[in-house]
Parts: sequence; structure tokens; C-alpha cells
Amino acid sequence: MRSSLTFQTSMAARALARGLCGLRPSRAVPVGCGHQYVTAAASVKPPQLQPEEVADQTLKKTLEKPDYFHVSELFSLKQLFDARVHLGHKKGCRHRLMEPYLYGCRLDQDIIDLDQTMEHLQQALNFTAHIAYRGGIILFVSRRRQFCHLVENTAKDCGEYAHTRYWRGGVLTNAHIQFGKGVRLPDLIIFLSTLNNVFEQHVGIRDAAKMNIPTVGVVDSNCNPCLVTYPVPGNDDTPAAMELYCRLFKMTINRAKDKRRQMELLQGLSASAPPSS
Amino acid sequence: MATLCKVVYRLRCGVRVTPSKFIQSSFCSDSSGASSSDQPAPERPKSGFAAAFDLQSELRREAESSAAGSSASSPVQKESFASLLRRSPLMQMGPPKDKVVIGRIFHVVQDDLYIDFGGKFHCVCQRPADGERLQRGTRVRLRLQDMELTSRFLGAATDTTLLEAQAFLLGPLESRETREPQSQD
Repeated sequence: MRSSLTFQTSMAARALARGLCGLRPSRAVPVGCGHQYVTAAASVKPPQLQPEEVADQTLKKTLEKPDYFHVSELFSLKQLFDARVHLGHKKGCRHRLMEPYLYGCRLDQDIIDLDQTMEHLQQALNFTAHIAYRGGIILFVSRRRQFCHLVENTAKDCGEYAHTRYWRGGVLTNAHIQFGKGVRLPDLIIFLSTLNNVFEQHVGIRDAAKMNIPTVGVVDSNCNPCLVTYPVPGNDDTPAAMELYCRLFKMTINRAKDKRRQMELLQGLSASAPPSS
Repeated sequence: MATLCKVVYRLRCGVRVTPSKFIQSSFCSDSSGASSSDQPAPERPKSGFAAAFDLQSELRREAESSAAGSSASSPVQKESFASLLRRSPLMQMGPPKDKVVIGRIFHVVQDDLYIDFGGKFHCVCQRPADGERLQRGTRVRLRLQDMELTSRFLGAATDTTLLEAQAFLLGPLESRETREPQSQD
């Protein structure tokens, strides 16, 4: 009799403790009943789960809406048009796999379809924002000497990394030997031009695909969009277009990082509030 | 100008009338006969400060709506890419051969002038003998030849491109200097 009574009360106490913990996630465990072994069991589990649960919830919250960071507000069709993003190379330079992204060809010059570019750019910026929100390392790559300084400044302004020089063979695939053990590879590589100086596909695209690193790439009408995870069909030769891309990526990354700092502050406030009350 | 005079006149009237209006309102609040005073108030045409305030807020609302209209028309109308493209100067120009355009020098390397005229690529022209005033930022006239210099070489799958346009430099944009005294008059 005595054992059954204690068992029932212990079950009730555990349910009560769990219920209270679910309502107010806090480190301090509300002591409902006086049984010592029950309170010991109740005090062990919740404090370990709470910070993880809260972190999971904040990460899941960003995935609820399709455009959580409102990146589609950052650009418009008119802005892309004025920055000459729709201008492609001549017909003879066209890559066969870029044909779905082209609107047409006018006097031998390919015109890129900006409606498709808008969708692709929105997806790419959204992905970049999520990566930046989760504290991922972003690497800007461009082998165009004309825009090397611009790309490096963009990376510096958003606190990320850039590689605009000659790409050595095993930078990603042989990183453990070339840079030492425990090197953290980038979580996202943004190619502002997917070609290298001799008009071949940049080695980084293939290497990133090998190392399971997602890539965002601005693909012109003479580029191969195959291995790029989030291709953005657009002009990569005009300074106006490149400045637009750099500005958009910088704004997205800064926006996502600010949001992250905001959420961390809120979490810190909510974690510190209940014990004091 | 007429509205300004009207506003100033009304403001002046308002300055004179306001003290009496204040006295009236204080009497009303003391007597607590608010119901009797409220009925004639909407029927009476507003004068003085009230009229000026209404006019000013209306003017401001109109200005805001016209400004908002010009900015709201783009998301409301949302010019499609097709219409933007059709109306763009590049399409309206037609074949680039022997077309005269205005460009801007954005980079200078000794005698080479890098000129951007609004196409995908810039063009590089040699500085003419009398081109001492052609510096960075100068507007120049060009005769276009080609928007992009490309050519298919033997054995190649795709064209080789020079990433440049070709144009002849006609000279700086001098027409503005002759026009300026006319606009001042």
C-alpha cells in the first residue's frame, strides 16, 4: 500500500513538474511536492533541455515564412534593368545550358530574362540570409580583376571572406594538408563571376560541389550554370551590375546578422528574467 | 502665387479672430452648454485659423498623394520587363553601326580613354591630339561600331570575346556650352 501510494504521488509530482516546466522554461525547478527522490529526478532533466529547445525554436521560427528576412524588398525589376543586368554576350559566346534563362537575342546580343532573374536572385539572397543568420562562413569569389577591389571591400564590410586571387589547386579539397588540421571550410561560396581569366569555369565551383558546400553564382550567358546550387542569371561584366550585386549581398548579410544579434539579446533577456521574478 | 496670397490673408484674419474665438470657447466650457454650441459650429463656415489649417493640410495631402502617386505607380503599374526592354534606348537604337552616342570617361591610362556609353561594355579610345581637356568624368560623343568585339577562331567551340566595344571618338560634348547663354535668357 505504502509503495503504491508513493508511486502514484511520484507520478503526479513528475507530471506537475513537467507541466510547470513546459509553461515557463527556466532553470529554477518549481518544487511541487516534498518527496526528495521526485524533486531530484525533476531537477536533473529540464535545465539541460531548455536552452537547446529555445535555440531550436528560434531556428525553426526563421523557416516558417518563405521570405523571413524580406529580401524581396531589397531590389526591384527597374533597379536590375537600370543596372544593365539583362545584357548578355553575343550569340556566338552563348552556353547551351543558359538558353532556358534567356529572353531572346537582339541583333546577335543575348538578352537575359529578368523575370527569371528576379526569382533566382530572391532565392539566392534568402539562402544567403539564412546562412548568415546561423553564423555560417561566407566566401566571395571572383576572378575579374576589374572588380577584385570591390568584392574584397564588400566582404570586409559584411565581416565575411573573399578570395579574388589565383585559386590554388587544393584550397577546398586539400585544406587539411595545405592549411593544417581543424580548418573550418566556408559554409557558402558566392561567385560574383563563375569564369576565370581564361573563360573556363572556375575550379572553385567543382571543388565546392565535391566538398558539399552550397554555392550562389552570377551566371552570364557564356557560363555553365550546372554545378551552381543557386544560379542567378545576370550580367557580370558591367560595373553597375556588379556594384548592385555586391550591395545586395552586403545588405542581406548585414540584415541577417543584425536579426541574429537581436534574437540573442531577446533570448538573453528572457533567460535572465524568470529567476529574478 | 494666388494660393499663397490667399493663405497669408487668411492667416492674417486668423490672427485677429483667434483671441475672440478663445474667449468664446472658454465661456462654452464654463457653462457646460456644449450641446447647444456644437450644433451651430459645423454649420458655420470655418474662418480664420481653422480655414487656413484646413487649406494647408489639404495642400500637403495633395502634394503627398502626387508624390506617392509617382512612386506608387511603379508598384501599382509594375512595368513588365518586356515593356521596359522595348522602350529602352538600346532597343530603339537598332543596329549599333555608325550610331552617334554620348559616353562618359570613367578611367584614363595615359593616352587611353575608357568610355562608358550605357552598353554592356565600355570602349577604349586613343586621346586625340587636341584632347587635353578629356579627363575622367568628361562627356564625349562617340560613333559606335560594335557593342562587343567577338570572333570565332578556327577550332574553337565558342566565340572569343575581347570584353570591349568599339567606337570612334568624335570629340567632347561641346553643344552644351553654346546652349547655356540661350537658357539664361
